[in-house]
Amino acid sequence: MSFFVDKDTRLIVQGITGREGAFHTEQMLVYGTNVVAGVTPGKGGKEIHGVPVFNTVLEAKEYGQANATVLFVPPKFMYGAAYEAILSGIPLIITIAEGVPVHDMLKLHHLAKEKGCRLIGPNSFGIISPGKAKAGFMAHRIFMEGHVGIMSRSATNCYETVFLMKQRGIGQSTCIGVGGDMIPGSPFVDMLPFFEADEETEIIVLIGEIGGGEEELAADFIKKYITKPVVALIAGKNAPKDTSMGHAGAIVSPDGEGSAENKEAALKAAGVYIAEGTEDLVAIVERIMLAKGEK
Amino acid sequence: MKLLEYKAHELFSTYQLPCMKGKITSSVEELKAMDSIISYPMVLKAQVQTGGRGKAGGIQFAENSEELWEKAEFLYNLTIKDLPVEKVFAAEKVELTTEMYLSITLDRKQKQAVLIYSPEGGVDINEIAEENPDKLIKVHIPPNEGLQDFIIQYVMDKSSVPQELRTDFIDICQKLYLIFTEYNCLLAEINPLVITDAGRMLALDGKIDIDDNALFKHEDIRIFRDEITDNPLVLEARSYDFLYIPIQDRGSIAVISNGSGMIMSSIDLISKQGMEVTCALDLGGGATSDRIQEALRIVASNPKIETIFLNIFGGITRCDEIAKGILQSLDSMHNIWLVVRLEGTNKERGLEILKAAGDRVTQVEGLNDGVKILGQRIAK
Repeated sequence: MSFFVDKDTRLIVQGITGREGAFHTEQMLVYGTNVVAGVTPGKGGKEIHGVPVFNTVLEAKEYGQANATVLFVPPKFMYGAAYEAILSGIPLIITIAEGVPVHDMLKLHHLAKEKGCRLIGPNSFGIISPGKAKAGFMAHRIFMEGHVGIMSRSATNCYETVFLMKQRGIGQSTCIGVGGDMIPGSPFVDMLPFFEADEETEIIVLIGEIGGGEEELAADFIKKYITKPVVALIAGKNAPKDTSMGHAGAIVSPDGEGSAENKEAALKAAGVYIAEGTEDLVAIVERIMLAKGEK
Repeated sequence: MKLLEYKAHELFSTYQLPCMKGKITSSVEELKAMDSIISYPMVLKAQVQTGGRGKAGGIQFAENSEELWEKAEFLYNLTIKDLPVEKVFAAEKVELTTEMYLSITLDRKQKQAVLIYSPEGGVDINEIAEENPDKLIKVHIPPNEGLQDFIIQYVMDKSSVPQELRTDFIDICQKLYLIFTEYNCLLAEINPLVITDAGRMLALDGKIDIDDNALFKHEDIRIFRDEITDNPLVLEARSYDFLYIPIQDRGSIAVISNGSGMIMSSIDLISKQGMEVTCALDLGGGATSDRIQEALRIVASNPKIETIFLNIFGGITRCDEIAKGILQSLDSMHNIWLVVRLEGTNKERGLEILKAAGDRVTQVEGLNDGVKILGQRIAK
């Protein structure tokens, strides 16, 4: 039993008739995810890879008893699509789009909290519980079942990490893309209690980067409540100030706020292992596993 | 994107937020013509996308026509931190009694906007925060409910805004919030907000930073962004939906990758080995043969670049396609050494194709391997 996505997940794909939506619906089905319905306004009645399409989230939810949705919707339309999902009472909403307007996300972040929905992303690769199910666009063949829980702002750094892990026979319990935009629906700190409680997760990996203060907030929480070992990597140590490094959220302000040094110092003070790069990260994870006698 | 002062002034005027009368000029002649349009004394402000304008002589005053002529010539021949002055904003000089600070900005940790007010302004906000932290009032604005009246009331009471100015203050706060939300701002700042001799509240200078990802809602501003981008490679990359990131003036290495995280990781590891990355390019998703060729061409047109580290890691990326793109680019890139890491579908075929490139291309197995190879040839 994994938290968020597993065999009990009944998933809706919003934007299922688009190129990306259709392609990844097939990939998710191949991986064994139970995709129960799709939504594209105006395209109700169609079928994509055997999945029925509806005009509204509400109807899709009723039809498939859905308990999660993944949004393959362009950033412009993300607000409307996520708003509909929240008001339709979908408890888990995963948003893929990169570059969603900040003001849209401010509203959605708070609305989701008020309505008790878990909003993941935007600019997220999704969620995967290897061997069970995935909701997102990650290349699942590089993941494998195991006991390391990963949460990452970056898709590529997460891929690199699991790729190296696989070479050493280390698998993952659940991997979550918290997203690279400026305002995450659910930051690291919201994910930590789930990893702590999850019996399949033995080690927690946090892949952060410059910009914002989510790593610092996570450090406070780890210090107080997390008993499992945490290993962190912060990307962007050599990025110039006041320059967005691609991800909208990866920017150090002119006064130095959001710098890698701040984040590493806060995490270190919370007892978190700090890795220099992905290879180092995996080596640390392996050392912890060997010490625990699990490898 | 950060707006130049005059553009912020234009927005303030559009929203009827009280500010001084002013006009933007694009040439010496236009500036001299302000003689009959704006009354003396006049303040002339160079519009450049950099700080330290005042110290560089970018702000001048004119009391009469003669001074205007002389200052106009001076300003349009001025260069501030390598940026030639191409626009000068001319405005009435305002006699004032008090300088205050007012802004609405984004609090990323709280995921809300925050209104910040200080009865002492005119200097940088960080300076205010350091010297007079007690006078700084900060209140969060819940995004779904907006700037409620009680929030402004709270600010006025906490900071003892004089009764006779409260109507003005409420009006300015509300208009600033309207600009902040309607223009998708990350920052809408008035500094200084002043009280004039005549007892009016006025926005003397403004800073507006707009969310790049919301520019599709503001065509007028989006056009302006291309106008003020001075790096031609950034512009060219943008036209292909790439992101070109200038890192520093030093070094001779460029990094190309298909993700922001991987770019940062690559730069971090290369820098740790004592080498310097000059620029980076993010391909975004969907790396194809054509796109690889364009990306290589753009990066190679930076004359400093001698080495390109191409780090592609895609689940569904076709490595053979990428390899063909690289081969076809080699003829047009002289004296550039490519270190290539490919991971994805058809990897073996891709690597086979790349062998034809000979020693112009070095294949590596991973990020660390690539950095090691770079170091053996470049470092020290």
